[in-house]
Amino acid sequence: MDDPVDNPALDTRRDLWQPLQGVSWRYLAVLLPLSLITLWGLTAWGYQLNRGIGVAGIRRPVFWGFYLVNFVFWIGISHAGTLISAILRLTEAEWRKPVTRAAEAITVFALMIGGMFPIVHLGRAWIFYWLFPYPNSRLLWPNFRSPLLWDLTAISTYLIGSSIFLFLPLIPDVAQLARHATGWRRWLYRRLGLGWTGSDREWHALERAMKLMAGIILAVAVSVHTVVAWDFAMAIAPMWHSTIFGPYFVAGAIFSGIAALIVAMAVIRKTMRLEKYLTPHHFNNLAKLLLLMSLLWTYFTVSENLTVWYGNEPREMMVFGARARGTFAPYFWTMVVCNFFVPFVLLGIRKLRSIKTALIASITVLIGMWLERYIIIVPTLSRPRLAAAWGSYSPTWVEISITVATFATMVVLYLSFAKLFPIISIWEFKSHDRVPES
Amino acid sequence: MYLKAEFREKETAARAILELKANGFGPDALDVFSNEPVEFADGVLDRSSRMSLVVVASALTCCVLTILFVRYTQYNYPLVTGGMPLFSFWSTGVVFYELTMLGAILSSFAWFLWESGLVRRRTPAPVPDVEPGVICLRVRCGEGQEDSAGRQLQQAGATGVQKL
Repeated sequence: MDDPVDNPALDTRRDLWQPLQGVSWRYLAVLLPLSLITLWGLTAWGYQLNRGIGVAGIRRPVFWGFYLVNFVFWIGISHAGTLISAILRLTEAEWRKPVTRAAEAITVFALMIGGMFPIVHLGRAWIFYWLFPYPNSRLLWPNFRSPLLWDLTAISTYLIGSSIFLFLPLIPDVAQLARHATGWRRWLYRRLGLGWTGSDREWHALERAMKLMAGIILAVAVSVHTVVAWDFAMAIAPMWHSTIFGPYFVAGAIFSGIAALIVAMAVIRKTMRLEKYLTPHHFNNLAKLLLLMSLLWTYFTVSENLTVWYGNEPREMMVFGARARGTFAPYFWTMVVCNFFVPFVLLGIRKLRSIKTALIASITVLIGMWLERYIIIVPTLSRPRLAAAWGSYSPTWVEISITVATFATMVVLYLSFAKLFPIISIWEFKSHDRVPES
Repeated sequence: MYLKAEFREKETAARAILELKANGFGPDALDVFSNEPVEFADGVLDRSSRMSLVVVASALTCCVLTILFVRYTQYNYPLVTGGMPLFSFWSTGVVFYELTMLGAILSSFAWFLWESGLVRRRTPAPVPDVEPGVICLRVRCGEGQEDSAGRQLQQAGATGVQKL
């Protein structure tokens, strides 16, 4: 895959193809333990399938636990690609170019992982297909009014759309790779390249499709997390039945998505030696976006909690009290520190803002956003309106194993993708705007 | 037969295209190959597209079909709704919206494959091998046109003109 000629466009290609070659010990040292954790998570799920959903900690009145927390968290992370990539594409922001594919890949893998959780939560996962409308003799039919079916249609649409949105700009790059690769890689790239030749008709069609898709996928992304929020808001439960839950969830999703993108970019920058392409300028711009979303998230959180506190409705105050000063207070205040104070200090003070601090702030935001999902789901379910029905929730080893495994799976999928395909879109670096006449 | 000319700058390639068009070569006879999209000014090599129209039409069709499907099946498989209407736009609106969007997504992908020519290669025209940073112009020449086309390409600033 090496080209001896001195040419800036060739240099870009050579640099970005370099990470695809060979497998280092460092790469394997990360991949193998994480693959084992993934296998352990699958074993835990197998155990749950064999023994029944009773092996999980979810029981009356807390029927939604870690699985639903993870579902909401991962669907939120999936907003990284779509919103970053689609918004920046539509606004033609030049600095987006090295960022978009890394972000789009996060979306697809996070959705795959997030979309699994309702199936894991079902218990009897093998009858998942009952959710699909198909003619049957038992007169079983999905209830289109149910938010569960809203989720199914929203997530399926988003997954299909995001996969196409990732695949479309990958076509020119894999077509180029097909001409230079050998063996099974050549076979794979040729099939994925669809016979791309690089003609102006193909480029025009690709750019038109990408612009249209960016617009459509934005509308779908917003709707997906709004629908996830409505899973809660449609229930007349304390601190769920809120009109701002839709935008609150969307803001939180974008917030956690940007944090995940910064973490992924920092890791691939270091491990794949892409310092020349993922520069401090990109991290600075993303850090500013993260700070903006932190402030927006804080505004929504204050707005949501202040309204409840001022209203002083007894049932809501039970949940509010449990969150702010009761059993769940350590989680709540850790969430506030992670999602507001850390980003505000590290990214708000210009002198402190760097790749390292952006990475630290992003990791704390990811922890904070996972806690936020937990804080939303568990306290409300453990404090139902009837005080006699109050209960508690503690996750079992099965839920913890599956949760940890999803993080490992995400890294495994991402590293495997980055080893197979250029993680930075090569063709988007337009050399014709900078290469002088030879 | 086909001629291939290489350019390093899009301005020279655009000049060559305009000169060829002025000498009777239609847009169908001209194809530009590159490893990245080359954006010419309006009027140089415009390609018409119906993608937006197709996407909107497909989305609307998908929406209507979904509404009909849900309405028909709600009455065919009557669920217990506690006195509420069997079919309601409010409670099924999310499903309609998502499937409308799915129609738009799938049609943009399908129309991209069609319009780019990836699924309908009609004429087995030779495809030039293009190096990164190079713009390659392929010209389909009729009887006796290759000499004049070759001259025009060289005058416009092509770095290499060859038969394909």
